[in-house]
Amino acid sequence: MSTASNPLNKSAEPTTWNFKLLAQNDLGGFGGMGEGMSVQIAKDGRRIIWLAHESAPKNFTAVDVSDPRQPKVVVQTDLPKPYMRSNSLELSGDIMAVAYQTQKVNQQPAGLELFDVSVPEKPRSISFFDCSGPTSRGVHQLWFCDGEYVHMASGSPDFKPSHPNDDQFYRCIDVRNPAKPVEVGRWWMPGTSATDNIAPPPRHPLDKGYRAHNTNVYPQRPDRLYLCYIDGGMFVMDIKDKTNPKVISHWTNSPPYTGFMHTAVPLFDRGLMLVTDESTENAGKDWPKLIWILDARDEKNLVPIATCPMPPLDAYANRGGRFGAHNIHENAAVPTAWQSDQIVIGTFFNGGLRAYDISNPYQPKEVAAFVPPPPKGTPAGAVQLNDVFVDERQIVYTVDRHTGGLYTLEVDF
Amino acid sequence: MRGLAESRYSLPMNELFPSPAAGRFGRRLKRERGARVPVTIITGFLGAGKTTLLKRFLGTPEGRGTAVVVNEFGATGIDDALVRSSADETVLLGNGCLCCITRTDLQRALRRMVVERERGELPDFSRIVIETSGLADPSPILQTFATDRALGSVFHVDAVVTVVDAATGGDTLQWSAEARKQAILADRLVITKTDIAGEGARSAMAAQLRALNPGAEILEAVNGELDPGRLTEPASDQRNAFVAEATHSDGIGSFVLTYDKPIPWVVFARSMDTLMQLRGPDLLRVKGFLDVEGCKGPVVVQFVQHLAHPPVELESWPDQNRQSRVVYITRNISEQQVRNLFTAIKAFV
Repeated sequence: MSTASNPLNKSAEPTTWNFKLLAQNDLGGFGGMGEGMSVQIAKDGRRIIWLAHESAPKNFTAVDVSDPRQPKVVVQTDLPKPYMRSNSLELSGDIMAVAYQTQKVNQQPAGLELFDVSVPEKPRSISFFDCSGPTSRGVHQLWFCDGEYVHMASGSPDFKPSHPNDDQFYRCIDVRNPAKPVEVGRWWMPGTSATDNIAPPPRHPLDKGYRAHNTNVYPQRPDRLYLCYIDGGMFVMDIKDKTNPKVISHWTNSPPYTGFMHTAVPLFDRGLMLVTDESTENAGKDWPKLIWILDARDEKNLVPIATCPMPPLDAYANRGGRFGAHNIHENAAVPTAWQSDQIVIGTFFNGGLRAYDISNPYQPKEVAAFVPPPPKGTPAGAVQLNDVFVDERQIVYTVDRHTGGLYTLEVDF
Repeated sequence: MRGLAESRYSLPMNELFPSPAAGRFGRRLKRERGARVPVTIITGFLGAGKTTLLKRFLGTPEGRGTAVVVNEFGATGIDDALVRSSADETVLLGNGCLCCITRTDLQRALRRMVVERERGELPDFSRIVIETSGLADPSPILQTFATDRALGSVFHVDAVVTVVDAATGGDTLQWSAEARKQAILADRLVITKTDIAGEGARSAMAAQLRALNPGAEILEAVNGELDPGRLTEPASDQRNAFVAEATHSDGIGSFVLTYDKPIPWVVFARSMDTLMQLRGPDLLRVKGFLDVEGCKGPVVVQFVQHLAHPPVELESWPDQNRQSRVVYITRNISEQQVRNLFTAIKAFV
């Protein structure tokens, strides 16, 4: 065993391998970021990244990243209530959809807000779609790429879950007239509504809920929804008839794993699917939370074939905060998003940002890692990289969950 | 032994889950080494000045974050502390550099450094420099990096740099086959001690080295002073360097095969498979770029004796010149013999 001495904590060396850090911006001291990241090319040619905050007091922040070495805050807005969080946003053109969730049911405002951000300095509210209610905490996550429909994980005033943790389900909102959003369809996992005739699903030990999380839809298959359902696994859904989504297939790893299936990204040309879990417990208590690679050649029979190799548990679990998978770059169907079916880039909380070459999907290989030092003032004791977006220039944007704000990097592999 | 032409390099996984963005050799890369850790091998005879060169490099901005592996049987002067340290212990040097001495297992030392970096037990390093024993034949070290099963999937040798002493190197090259091998296999040759070697020593040494290795870049370093880029720049970036033919008394020679038209991969692969199987030990080092039929970018090929590095396709050619160019350093294998083999295979395929 090596006995190298070093001036830092023995197990806390930062790492920058095959990424080049360009800049970090703590967003004016409000560097606690969620999982909404979307890049706009403004009418004046500036490249603006819109970032959702993880919790109050801030709503979203826009950063000019035309020069990724010098990111500059353009606008930063506040949430009206301290019990709100935005956490998720997406842009299509100059229209931005923002999710509002509350800490408890029956709090307001909770729902979906649409903004005109054609003048980035002055986001203008177009409409608000109310999702509040006696059993609703509002919207946790949304997907909006085509300018027509917002696909979201949300509660509603007329949905009563069979268990309070199962309060959010899939809703499809028609925003072709952004001033008047209208729900056109919904789906929940059978058993999670109090009105269902079947028994509720058995609770998982950590019980994060049978509720929707990512709701991804891609232009290659606009009739398909790739829906992750936290403790319920993931579903491939037929949404050709948006009013009546139907299950095509279901895959879950839990039990024996610890639930919280988060994001599914199909790689259409290759017949593969990437699925992530989210780590939600500190100190690796819910290890392993992984990025899974599935053989999706038959969408009715998804077969897991590999996971992306994780850094060592004992080297990271006790650095502070969470350690495990969460978000990946999702190949969003927007012109400003990098598209790749051979490289996966994901965030792992204190495990940092990691890139994998999945040319051979049976043997993913880590090809890059970025684990910065603990951001100043973080309560976690370590970085907690929370989300990642890669633009079409292959500039990588990643955000810290607590104080670190935005990091911009170049790919160097 | 399965060869290049067989399914190993028509990756079955590519056929099972093809990506339109991938080439026949997998993901196209921006650069030859891809994501692998860059390695520079510094070799040269006893007392030639390897350690002096390396110490100077480690103090430069370009040298920051270098991990040095000293593959040495005797004491090393890289740092006074290391003279006293035990084998396989990694020690911090200045400027963010590290050093590990290994007297036994180079592969194990390299793998351990990467694992310990991953675990956060070692400071981050961005490249590895291996300083070999003065008696070392570089071939086994190069073979260590040739295959995925060894270190080839994690590390990439950017350059072999051989250090030669202007004062005594001439005599050494005459009597020592190891010293000649170190010169022949080098990408860059660094002549040292020209300040004490006397009038004309540099040019005489350069001429002697050029006769052994016409393709290598020949440089001079006094007291270890050398442009740091000469230790870090990948040798593949010298693809346009002129290489003349050379042969000498060991029967070792070098030549370049060039092709102006795209080559069918099966012809090249089967030819090289045949050469490796029949004359592996005499294929000392083969390296080059190929314009392969059906590939968008150049395909980088490299062989060390009977081992073939997995070919990699780059994203694009650097300029309009798409000429294939492969440098052969062989023992008792002539250019004509290799050309005849390619012609015969092509007729057969």
